[in-house]
Amino acid sequence: MSIDSPGPQVGADEWVARQGRRREYLPSWLGRAQRETERIGWWPRLAVAGLAGALLPSVGLGGFQLQVGIDALVIALLAVGLNIVVGWAGLLDLGYIAFFGFGAYGFALLSSAEIGSTGIHLPAYLSLPIVMIAAALLGLGVGLPSRRLIGDYLAIVTLFFGEAFVEFTNNVAPSKLGGPNGITGIDPIRAFGWQLVSNYGYYYLLVIALVVTMAVLRLVERSRTGRAWRAVREDPLAAASMTIPVNRVKLAAFAAGAVVAALAGTIYAAQQASVFPTDFDTPILILIYAGLILGGAGSIAGAAVGALVVMITYDGLLRSSAEAGYLFYGLILLTLLVKLRPWRRLAAVLAATVAFGFAAYAIVKAISATAVASGPQSGGWIASALRDWVIVPANPQTPGNWGFVALIVMLIALVQVGTRWRTILMVPTIYLASFVWETRLVVEPSITRQLLIGAILIVMMNARPQGLLGQRRVEALT
Amino acid sequence: MSFFFQELVNGITTGALYSLIALGFSMVYGVLKLLNFAHGDLYMVGAYIGFFVIQFFGGAAKVSIPVPLLLVIMFVLAAGLVGGLGVTIERFAYRPLRDAPRIAPLITAIGISFFLESAALLLFGAQYRVYNTSEFISLSSGIRIGSVTIDSVQILVLAMGLVLMTGLRMLVNRTKLGKQMRAVAGDREAAEMLGINVNFTIAATFFLGSALAGVAGVMAGLLFNQVTNTIGFIAGLKAFTAAVVGGIGSIPGAMLGGLLIGLAESFVTGYISSTYSNLIVFGLLIVVMLVRPSGLLGQVQLQKV
Amino acid sequence: MKGRLVLVAAAVGSLVVAGCSSSSSSSSSSTAAAGGGSSSSSTKTCTASIGIEAPITGPVAPLGTEQLHFAELAVSMDNAANNTKITLVQGDTQLQPAQATTVTQQFISNSAIVAVAGPAGSQEVEAIGGPMGRAGMAFISGSATAVALTTGTYPTFFRVVSKDSVQGPQDANYIVKTLHPKALMIVDDQEAYSTGLVSAMVPVFQAAGVKVDHESVSQKVTDFSALVAKVTAADTVVVLPWQVAANAQQFGKDLAQEHKNAVIFGTDGLFSPGTFTISGSYVSSFGPDITAIPADASIASAAQAKYGSFGTFGPPVFAATHVIDEAISSVCKAGQTPSRANVLTAIKQTNEPTSILGQPISFDSHGDLVNGKFFLFKINSAGKYQLIPS
Repeated sequence: MSIDSPGPQVGADEWVARQGRRREYLPSWLGRAQRETERIGWWPRLAVAGLAGALLPSVGLGGFQLQVGIDALVIALLAVGLNIVVGWAGLLDLGYIAFFGFGAYGFALLSSAEIGSTGIHLPAYLSLPIVMIAAALLGLGVGLPSRRLIGDYLAIVTLFFGEAFVEFTNNVAPSKLGGPNGITGIDPIRAFGWQLVSNYGYYYLLVIALVVTMAVLRLVERSRTGRAWRAVREDPLAAASMTIPVNRVKLAAFAAGAVVAALAGTIYAAQQASVFPTDFDTPILILIYAGLILGGAGSIAGAAVGALVVMITYDGLLRSSAEAGYLFYGLILLTLLVKLRPWRRLAAVLAATVAFGFAAYAIVKAISATAVASGPQSGGWIASALRDWVIVPANPQTPGNWGFVALIVMLIALVQVGTRWRTILMVPTIYLASFVWETRLVVEPSITRQLLIGAILIVMMNARPQGLLGQRRVEALT
Repeated sequence: MSFFFQELVNGITTGALYSLIALGFSMVYGVLKLLNFAHGDLYMVGAYIGFFVIQFFGGAAKVSIPVPLLLVIMFVLAAGLVGGLGVTIERFAYRPLRDAPRIAPLITAIGISFFLESAALLLFGAQYRVYNTSEFISLSSGIRIGSVTIDSVQILVLAMGLVLMTGLRMLVNRTKLGKQMRAVAGDREAAEMLGINVNFTIAATFFLGSALAGVAGVMAGLLFNQVTNTIGFIAGLKAFTAAVVGGIGSIPGAMLGGLLIGLAESFVTGYISSTYSNLIVFGLLIVVMLVRPSGLLGQVQLQKV
Repeated sequence: MKGRLVLVAAAVGSLVVAGCSSSSSSSSSSTAAAGGGSSSSSTKTCTASIGIEAPITGPVAPLGTEQLHFAELAVSMDNAANNTKITLVQGDTQLQPAQATTVTQQFISNSAIVAVAGPAGSQEVEAIGGPMGRAGMAFISGSATAVALTTGTYPTFFRVVSKDSVQGPQDANYIVKTLHPKALMIVDDQEAYSTGLVSAMVPVFQAAGVKVDHESVSQKVTDFSALVAKVTAADTVVVLPWQVAANAQQFGKDLAQEHKNAVIFGTDGLFSPGTFTISGSYVSSFGPDITAIPADASIASAAQAKYGSFGTFGPPVFAATHVIDEAISSVCKAGQTPSRANVLTAIKQTNEPTSILGQPISFDSHGDLVNGKFFLFKINSAGKYQLIPS
């Protein structure tokens, strides 16, 4: 998504520039769709997306999907906030999750029975601004080291801060902060006599919050501050010599990111009705980063889209065995579709795989009945379709493990060899993948969830390092 | 006073371990400017390899070969296999991203970390694997000075740590490969133009760094006894911390950083409080970083115009 | 380009046709079963699903995997014994309350699930108690011991282990009366289980005039040499209310290596005959060693054969799952289809004279185990756990 589409420029060949811009977009029909939608303009796109999000529950979302949606929207809001610090100002903040936790704990302390005999129970229109302003101050404080530290050194200090927050809430003042037991019994979001109690309410609130935040940030992006951030990211020295107050700009980035994170934290605390120190540990930070970078750091829409995709996959699709199976087989087919250029080749590979499978199954069955004793472990129609195709022995664990190792080796080999061998080797590799899935992976859905998200991250970053909606940048290494 | 020395010994031993992991991390950062978050998981793979070697030779209680030979096999195998794994990861995950903004390989590293941890869970199972070091290296074999004990495993860790660190320093400063590594770390494009085989150098660096992590994993297994698939995460974090505090890209810096963290943890736990030890250590490190923004032994970053 | 589109359409179309045909065939077979079943209750298959929430991956994966395995074992053994067709659906919480909420919503949305075994952590119970109550679905935990959970806030919560206010004082009193320490060190692992026990035990020690050194170390730490160096000569007892037995084993080794004479006293988290074997230590447990109970021999050997050595977290989840299995079976025997409401009622009426935990299982009005008690073990020089008669 380009911010300023370049018109005719002095010294730039227009055809070259156009080709360059074409490579910014996603490949093939996705890119065409992207360019068409870009004609509409950013604001209408945001409105349409927001409306679609808001209307989704009326199409029919179950309780689980609603919860996944809420989790995804919280992470999307956090990714949009992190985008300010990492994507725009170029500051690697590994402690961002602490602002999220600060917002959540702040709201918890102001809206529960923790402080005093009956507790403070401020309504939302008071507690939210208080928490957000406090978070901005905290962001300024955390940003102070950025005056002296750059790059990875700043990263480590922010990482300390993040870890320190978890330690602090876990071990310090357990009577006030709850220690490992956290704070429970948090009031829902309350204002002017209304209360948000159901998950539907929180979903709508999050959609509104995300849309409003994205809108505000869009305005900031095109303002002087936004331009100052981008200048500081590219070359702080040059920015300083252009009278941009680099230190103040960095502090502003930290503060802005903290405010967005605190907003997400308050809504999160209200929806969960409880906060615990482990809610704000590094694994959540990893998810936010994955979403931001997968979607494209530097782009507001990219941050939101990337986070939504990552969370819906990780927290939603991969949690249920049936959908994980669809995802697995679907991704294999999709990769083949995209990578095997002439369709004859694709048809040949698919046909060969099917034939290979039946042949292998028949041969192994003839040799030993126990080797095919169990059926495919995944349920539903995939299992019945694959019953006479994939070999699943009676004790699937050890062969499955060896198959897994063999699959990794085959995948590595596939990358190495030439085109002809690659086409040939793809056939047993696909069969092996199905074998491993049916014997081991589908039996351990919780482990498979982690495996698949790791594999998806690796493959996606290799395929498109700038993220889905990001722009290619060349970084000047100091 | 003996308490002080005991904590000192403990701190130096764990510090030596952290240094070894940090060394590999720092080396990789030096040549690629990449924060390899999967480094800790290589350490975890090394620890598992050591465990399986013990099992292969009869299990901790009845080892069928002499203990020194067992240790040599454990270390060599862990170094070789984990080094190879590191080279493979570099070739397939990091090489395509060499020219991408630095934040992209970060996510790839995170993906590899997820993948390695869950693959270990899938293949090796969830239960703790116990080295039972005291079965084949008896607890009473060690030095005892007054009431300060240094047991054999600690001595082994210290000795190996020293040998490896010195060896690495010599490699980097005196050999041709070391010179190539320093050249690639300084300016990759210039090194390529001077005829250095950059791909090979980077692969060699990864091999060495990962081998160090693997050896550190075996040592951790011997020291701490239990191995599970999540030990890599904390180790990786400590390695990252030690490398940066010492000055990232600097080998003596990684050593110093690791020692500093080991000692800080030991003394803060011993003298101040175990509950707040992590908090206080973090605070100390933040102060160190603010006083020396490029790390203890890091080069002051000059900004090129 | 067009060819690829045609191919894709053909592939998708064939998959859809395959899917529809097989799903329609399976639905027709299930209606046949149901139709045949309503005529005579003896031939009707009792079908239901149980959810299990456990930290299967993540920081305490060994614990959660053990819980999952024992739940699977219980379901398979009960299906064979009661002629039921109960399936287990797993949900991974990684010990995080937020993930527990998501998994719980997943289970609530799945109408086939009638009850849940788990979750493991007290914080997770706090996070999901509300939604489960609103859905009217029972959940039985095998390891959530916080006292606050059974004060009436969570009407559908049950547990098969005693709470901290039982184990803590019982262990503390034993230490004071039998071991007579002048000073001791107690180390919590910064988790709710541990801090709850510590706050129950420390007052007992202080009332008896014992000098208490309260330390704290995270579960993720594996190096205790610094902490062990702090054990003074006067500390004759070190109390470790931890959940990771392997860590306690390491602590004991470090104690021996630094020539400290303190005796380790562990709570039920350390009960792990395969892992924690420091001679002279004490371990309390909510049940006798199931490998020593003849009645549990078949379960123990089946678990050993399939899953290897196990500790203390599996058997309670076996008990919890067994309670749910029996409740479902009794509902079917009464001629009803298992639903959340009638399974909840059946669980409330649970009255098992014996169980894998070596004691009868029934629940009081708040969901606590009635007469839960703790057994004390001492580890002898061969590393074997010996029951101390009370």
